[in-house]
Amino acid sequence: MKLDEIRHRIDLIDSKILKLLNDRMEQGLLAKRFKDQIVDPRREEEIMEKVKHNPNALVEKDFSEDLYKIILTQSKKLQGRELIITGFQGEHGAYSEEAVRLYNKDYVTLPCVTFNEVFEGVNSGMYDYGIVPVENTLGGIVGPVNELLLNTDLQIIGAIDMPVHHCLLMVPGTDHREIREVYSHSQALAQCRRFLSRNNLTPVPYFDTAGAAMMLAEKQPRGAACIAGKLAAKLYNLEVLKENIEDLSKNRTRFLLLSKGLPAEEGSKCTITFTTEHKAGTLFGVLELFASSGINLTRIESIPNEPGDYSFFLDFDGSFKDPNVIKTLEQAEKQTAGFKLLGCYNEKVIED
Amino acid sequence: MQNLKLVSSGKQGRRTKIKVGSVVIGEGFVVVGGPCGVESEEQTIRTAEAVKAGGGMMFRGGAFKPRTSPYDFQGLGLEGLKILAKARDLTGLPIVTEVIDPRDVSWVCEFADILQIGARNMQNFSLLKEVGRSPKPVLLKRGMYSTLKEWLNCAEYILAEGNPNVILCERGIRTFETYTRNTLDLSMIPALKELTHLPVMVDPSHGTGKLSLVEKMSLAAIAAGADGLLVEVHINPCEAKSDADQQLNPEQFKQLMQKIRKLEQFMADPLFNTSITGGKEQ
Repeated sequence: MKLDEIRHRIDLIDSKILKLLNDRMEQGLLAKRFKDQIVDPRREEEIMEKVKHNPNALVEKDFSEDLYKIILTQSKKLQGRELIITGFQGEHGAYSEEAVRLYNKDYVTLPCVTFNEVFEGVNSGMYDYGIVPVENTLGGIVGPVNELLLNTDLQIIGAIDMPVHHCLLMVPGTDHREIREVYSHSQALAQCRRFLSRNNLTPVPYFDTAGAAMMLAEKQPRGAACIAGKLAAKLYNLEVLKENIEDLSKNRTRFLLLSKGLPAEEGSKCTITFTTEHKAGTLFGVLELFASSGINLTRIESIPNEPGDYSFFLDFDGSFKDPNVIKTLEQAEKQTAGFKLLGCYNEKVIED
Repeated sequence: MQNLKLVSSGKQGRRTKIKVGSVVIGEGFVVVGGPCGVESEEQTIRTAEAVKAGGGMMFRGGAFKPRTSPYDFQGLGLEGLKILAKARDLTGLPIVTEVIDPRDVSWVCEFADILQIGARNMQNFSLLKEVGRSPKPVLLKRGMYSTLKEWLNCAEYILAEGNPNVILCERGIRTFETYTRNTLDLSMIPALKELTHLPVMVDPSHGTGKLSLVEKMSLAAIAAGADGLLVEVHINPCEAKSDADQQLNPEQFKQLMQKIRKLEQFMADPLFNTSITGGKEQ
């Protein structure tokens, strides 16, 4: 064992401590949503009592008390601010989190395990907003999200379209020649298929890109690397072996921002969903309304509903306050079933 | 020569041209400049900028160094490759770098534009096969104890695996002469031009090991009909971790380039396209 090996371990522990502190602050912010007041003396006493009598020999009583005074003060300070919480699917460092930061850097991001949890969290008021990916230029639509969108009462209040650049990450000091397996979300693995094959690497699907990065940093499996973004590399102290490993450089993902309420500003883009009767020309009839009103459609997607039944998504340029749009939507509603305006919002496009 | 099916020039006298970025090897005279080893990001990037400013068309630098002693600087490895890729992004110069381990071939391909097989590995057949299966051109240096025939057989190995883009590089051989580091065998250039369609380059830095001889041998290489040069340039040769005695500084490189361009113009005269033929075939 050499000094630099020990220091390397210390660096890893420090990055974990900081990550845990962040997790703790997050839980504090969530707790506030269930409390009437920020300060709860009984709860604080309870915490201090446990901390003082912790069984870790080197974390002495005085030290742990001092430390927790600082932690609790900071937690209360954060709770006192009117922070906007946005839920995203994945671990910290996920592309969805990068999207939130690019949309508005002041939003606080909270990780969820599933897309459903994001929708539920916004519905229950635990989060102010939720962010979900809807489509990727290489991977196509994100099926589970589109299904959830069909059945939600949440509103789309914003969208962001951003480039996604994958990196091959490894635990610092790994011999790159020993790497055999690469963990990542199946979409990311698919987007780097040619890179993996020319380097004889075996793709191993994982539930999430940043989750794979976190697992790699914690468990350090032999001969393994992962595909994730630069943010994940920074958060989990991983070395970037190679940047931009996606097979096509024009790799973009579009995300939607969801909320219970309406957006504060007038939007320039709308999303609707509907189903049509099984009769010749019904879908055409709806599309024709938009064509004759001169409204530009930007996305059309069909999602299988019940067997033989399809729901349609339609995105178009325009505001729902525009009389031309209002008139077209009224007519469309008459010709369709389950018609719903999912939102009228502005879309942010991040260039490379 | 027997068994040289793929490297032989054949009757049509065709010539292989290799396009790397905006540079075509086998068309005009291509100069590759750069340090012996990638020592740091600053040294590499500053040298790459100097090579570009001096008129160099490609950049060289070793990330994996085959060294005589195991205690000498072995190169920065993967970190060195990342630095080279950064130098390319900043200057636009394609990268030539050596690969010494078959397990590194695919990774070096990810970062570099031309794979170099060093003199010490010329007959490392498993390495030759591996680069023969790679998508990048290969610069094959002549082994220090190798005959022309052995050298061409090594090129044949690479072509036989499916990679048609091989550049031969004369870098001197061991003789009884000790004044120079190696004896730069410029007679190989016209000989190879007769025998093979592959482009031929010359490394006068290793070929002589002496700074004062580099310029004259570079010019002689052009006169002998070489397609290009591989010359060592360091931003500060006195501080180089390897080959400190044979690397040019940026000013010397610039002067060399001026002379090269002048001689190149002179050699462009169609008069030099013909040569004396005949004599007894071997």
